[in-house]
Amino acid sequence: MLKYLAKRGITYVVMIFLTTSAGYFLAVSSLKPALLEQERIPRPTPEQVANSMRLKGLDPDLSPWERYVDWLTGIVTRWDWGRSPNGAYINAEFGDRVWISTRLFLASIILTLVIGVALGVYSAARQYKFQDRVITSYSYLAYIVPAPIAYFLVQLGAININESVGDRIFFVTGISTPGIAPGWAQFVDMVAHYVVPTVAITLVGWGAYQIAQRQYLLDNVNADFVRTARAKGLTRNQAIARHALRVSFIPVAQSIAFTIPAIFAGGFFAEKIFAWPGVGSWSIDAISLQDVNAATATLAYGSVIFALGAILADFATTLVDPRVRVQ
Amino acid sequence: MSSETTTGAMEPARSDVERLHVAGLHAPTDAVLSVRDLNVRFNSENGVVHAVRGVDFDLMPGKTLGIVGESGSGKSVTSLAIMGLLPPTAQVSGSVRLKGRELLGLSDKDMCKYRGNDLAMVFQDPLSSLTPVFTVGTQIVEALTIHHPTMSRTAKEARAVELLAMVGIPSPKDRLKAFPHEFSGGMRQRVMIAIAIANNPRVLIADEPTTALDVTIQAQVLEVLHTAQEETGAAVVMITHDLGVVAGMADDIMVMYAGKPVETGAVDDIYYNPRMPYTMGLLGAVPRVDVAEKSSLVPIEGMPPNLLHAPTGCSFAPRCPLASEACHDGEPALAPVDGQGLHRAACIKSEALGGDVDVHDVFAAPPVPVSRFDAVPRAERSTVLQLKDVRKHFPLTRGALIKRRIGTVKAVDGLSFDIREGECFSIVGESGSGKTTTLLEIMEFHADQDGEVVIGGLSNKQAADAKTKAKMRRELQMVFQDPTGALDPRFTVYEVLAEPLQNAGMDRGAIRKRIMELMKLVGLQPDHVNRFPNQFSGGQRQRIGIARALAVNPKLVVLDEPVSALDVSVQAGVINLLDHLRAELGLSYLLVAHDLSVVRHISNRVAVMYLGKIVEIGAVDRVFDNPRHPYTRALLSAIPVPDPQLERTRERIILQGDLPSPLQAPKGCNFATRCPVFAALPPAKQEKCLTLEPPLEAAASATDQQFACFFPDGELDEDMLVVHETADHHAP
Repeated sequence: MLKYLAKRGITYVVMIFLTTSAGYFLAVSSLKPALLEQERIPRPTPEQVANSMRLKGLDPDLSPWERYVDWLTGIVTRWDWGRSPNGAYINAEFGDRVWISTRLFLASIILTLVIGVALGVYSAARQYKFQDRVITSYSYLAYIVPAPIAYFLVQLGAININESVGDRIFFVTGISTPGIAPGWAQFVDMVAHYVVPTVAITLVGWGAYQIAQRQYLLDNVNADFVRTARAKGLTRNQAIARHALRVSFIPVAQSIAFTIPAIFAGGFFAEKIFAWPGVGSWSIDAISLQDVNAATATLAYGSVIFALGAILADFATTLVDPRVRVQ
Repeated sequence: MSSETTTGAMEPARSDVERLHVAGLHAPTDAVLSVRDLNVRFNSENGVVHAVRGVDFDLMPGKTLGIVGESGSGKSVTSLAIMGLLPPTAQVSGSVRLKGRELLGLSDKDMCKYRGNDLAMVFQDPLSSLTPVFTVGTQIVEALTIHHPTMSRTAKEARAVELLAMVGIPSPKDRLKAFPHEFSGGMRQRVMIAIAIANNPRVLIADEPTTALDVTIQAQVLEVLHTAQEETGAAVVMITHDLGVVAGMADDIMVMYAGKPVETGAVDDIYYNPRMPYTMGLLGAVPRVDVAEKSSLVPIEGMPPNLLHAPTGCSFAPRCPLASEACHDGEPALAPVDGQGLHRAACIKSEALGGDVDVHDVFAAPPVPVSRFDAVPRAERSTVLQLKDVRKHFPLTRGALIKRRIGTVKAVDGLSFDIREGECFSIVGESGSGKTTTLLEIMEFHADQDGEVVIGGLSNKQAADAKTKAKMRRELQMVFQDPTGALDPRFTVYEVLAEPLQNAGMDRGAIRKRIMELMKLVGLQPDHVNRFPNQFSGGQRQRIGIARALAVNPKLVVLDEPVSALDVSVQAGVINLLDHLRAELGLSYLLVAHDLSVVRHISNRVAVMYLGKIVEIGAVDRVFDNPRHPYTRALLSAIPVPDPQLERTRERIILQGDLPSPLQAPKGCNFATRCPVFAALPPAKQEKCLTLEPPLEAAASATDQQFACFFPDGELDEDMLVVHETADHHAP
C-alpha cells in the first residue's frame, strides 16, 4: 500500500510541476504589471518602472524562459516564490491566507459531510415519504441556487436577527474585531464571526452529498447481499445499516475526497462575500493586479490540494472497499 | 381491499377462510413446514399480478421437496413468501407453519427469530449474494451472533472453521479472512451454504442454487448440499427449472405453472407417470445426455399466461395440445390421480394420460429431419471450415508506465479441427476453457493471425483485400447467446433482417421477398416484420437472430450458447428449428454450449476443450458413450439426468476445485491437477503426466475419436467418486 501511494505521489509531483510551469508561462506572457504601474499618478517613467520591477525580480525585459528559470531557481534553491508588484513577499502572504481559508472552510466542510451523508441515509430509508421529499427537494434547491445568492440570503437573515434583537449578535463580514482583550471576550468575538459564513457554506454544501448518498444507498438496499443478510435473521433496517451502508459509501468517499480541494481553492465567492481574505480571493485579485507570482502560487496550491485529494480518495476507497486493495 | 376484485370472481373470500381453518386443523403434526393456500399478489402499473395462487405442501423432516417450473411460474416468489422476504408491497395470504407455528403475519422483527435459525435459504447468484466489503469469516460469524448472542468469540470462530470445512473449502482457517471476491462462484456458493446451515436449520430453501455455475461445479455444490442435509438433518426445498438437478435429490416434486401447483407427487410418480400435459411436455422438452437415439424434442408452443387476469379455465389450456371445450370451463383443482394416493394432478384428463401415452404423440413432436448429406460419408463431403493450429495468447503485464510481461494466458493453444458440409460440430468445456475465444478467432479472421482459418476454401492468409474478406464473411454467420441484447431495440424486425441483405447489395424488391421467406423459414408470422424486438418473446427473438444469420445464405452458422437464455419449453422449439434448418438448407453448425444434453441432441461431432486445448474430439455418440479422457468422463458424469432411478445409482466423478488459472498451467498435461486418474496412479507413472504433454491421438480402432491422455480408462481415484445408493427408501 505504501509503495502504491508513493508511486501515485511521484506521478502527482510530476503533474503539479507541469501544470504550475504551464501556468507560469501563461501568466508571464499575459500579465503585464509594468503597464499597471504606468497608470499611477504621478506617472513614473518607463525606466523607473522597469527598475522597480527588476528589483522585485519581475524584470519585464527578460524573455519568459529567462524569467521562468530565475523563478524556478528561486523556488528550488531558497523556497522563494517571488514577490508581488506591490513588493509583498508571496511566501509570507500565502502563509497568512492559507490559514484564513482553512479556518473559514474546515468547520463547514466537516459539518457539510456529516449532515449530508446522515440526511442521505435518513431520506433513503424513508424513500418517497414526506421527510424524504422535503429533504431531497431542499437539496436540489441548494444545488440550483447560485452560492453567492444563498450566502447573501444568510447574511440578510443574520442582520434581521441582529435588528430584531436590537443588539449585534452576529458579524456578517470579517474575521475578528481588532483590539479585543484575549480570553472569553475574544472567544465570543470569534464565534460571532464564524457562525454566519459556516452556516451559509454548510447550508449550501450538504445538498450534493445528501443526493449522492441517498442515491447510492437506494441502489444497494435491494441488493442480493442485503437479502442474504436478512435471510440470516437481521431485520431490514439492520441489514441496510450493516451491509448496504458501507458499500454505498464507496462512491461517496471518492467524491468527498475530490470536492474538498475544490472548496479550499475555489471558495472565492465565500471569501469575497464574508470578507475573509483567503487564497480564493487572492487568486482572483492576482489576475486583476497583473501579479504573475501570486497567480502561479495559487495555481500551484490548487494542484497540490487536488493531488492530496486524489490520494485521499484512493486511500478512502481502499479503506472501505477490500476489492481494490493492492497486494 | 379493492385489489381483491380480480380474484374474487375465482374463489369467494369466505372459502379462503374456510379452507384455511380446515387446513390448520388437518395439517400433519409431524410436518416441519406446512404451507396452505399461499397466495401472493403484487400491485403493478397494469393492475394486480397474482403471482402465487394457492400453493399447498407439507415438508417432512429430513425430506427434500423439489419445486419445478419455468421462469414466472411463481416458484421463487413462493420461497421468498415463506421466508418473509417479499417487499412490503406484496400481499401475502394463506398459512405457513414452521413446526406448527404460524409465520405469515409476523412482523419483520418477529420473523428474524426464525430466519437464519430454523429456516434458512441459499440464493441463486453467489456472485452478488455476499457482501463484498466484509470477509467471509465475518459474514459466517454474523449468522451465529444473531441467534446466539452469548456465544464466545473463539467458539464462533471455531464453528465458522468447522462450517467451511464441512462445505469443502480447503484450508478453512486461513480462508476466514478472505473476501468474497477472492473466491470463485462455486466457492462463494459453498460459503452461502455454510451461512445457511450455520444454526442447524430445520428447513433449508435452495433457490436455483446451481443455475449460475458450470456443470462440474454444479456437481460439487449439489454434493455439498447433500452433505449439509445429512449433517443437519434439515428438510430441503429445492427450487429449480432443471428437471435433472432434482431427479436424484428430491423425495417429492411439485410442478408449478402460472403461479399454481399443477402436479405433485413422489419423484418417481412425476418422472415415470406424469398425468398433467405440462409435466409431460417439460420432461419431453429436455434432451438427454445419456440417450443416443435421435428423436425430436417436444416443443410447448405459446407463452405462459399473463397473471394480471384471473384464468377462467385451465391456465395451460392455450398451450395444451389435448385441450378441449371442457378445459376452458373453470380451472381444474389438484385432484388425486386415479382417485387415491398422494400423486395429484390438476387436469381433467389425468385419468386418460396414464399407461403408455407417448409424449411425442401428445405434443405432435415433428419427425426427425433428415439432411441430404446424412447419407454421404463424412470424408466425401466438402470442408466448410478448417482450423490449423490456431493460437491466441494474451500477454499478462504488470506495471503502470513500463509494462513488464510476467506471463502468457494461452486462451487458445494450438487448435485444429474441420467442419464438413451438413454437420454440426460442438465445442464443450467449462467457462474459461477457451470456447468463446475460439469463436472470436474464427469470426475475426485476419492475415496476421497465429494459425490458419480456412472458410469455404479461402484461407485467412489470403484475406488481405476487402473483397475476399467479404466473400469469406458471407459464408459464416453468427447467432448470439442473449437474443435481447443481440437485436437493436430501435430496429423493426424488417430492418434487422434487411441490414445484411443491403450489405450484400440486394435491391429493395428482392430484399422484401427474401425477408418474407426468412420469416416463414424460422416459424414467425411474415406480417410481424414491422414489430420491434421487445414485442416478441425470448424464443421468438432468438428465431429473429437465426433469421438474420441465415439472410445471406451462409454455409456455416456459428451458434454461441443459442438456447441457454431460454426456458426449457421454448428451448425445445428453437433446437428443433435448428435441426430442421440444418437438414433443409444443408447448413453446417459450429455450436458452443455448456449444456452437454443439448450438444448430444443436436451435434454430429464434438470437441472437449480444457485450458485452450482440445482433450478429446470425435463423433458425438462415440465420445459420449465411450469417453476416454478423464476430463470428458468427469464432465459427462457431472450432468444430472432427468431419471430418478438412474440418478440415485449413478457413479459420479466430482472434480476437485475449479478450473486452474491459465497462468498456472502445468508443464505436462494441463488436467493433471484435477485428474481423477492421475490421483490414483503410482508416482512412477504420474511423472509422465507431469513432464510430457499428451498428444491428441486416435483411439486404437479406426473410429472417429481422438483424445489426449496417456492413461485412458485408468482407475479412478476413490475419493473423487460418489454414489448415492438411496434407491430403497424412494420406492413408491
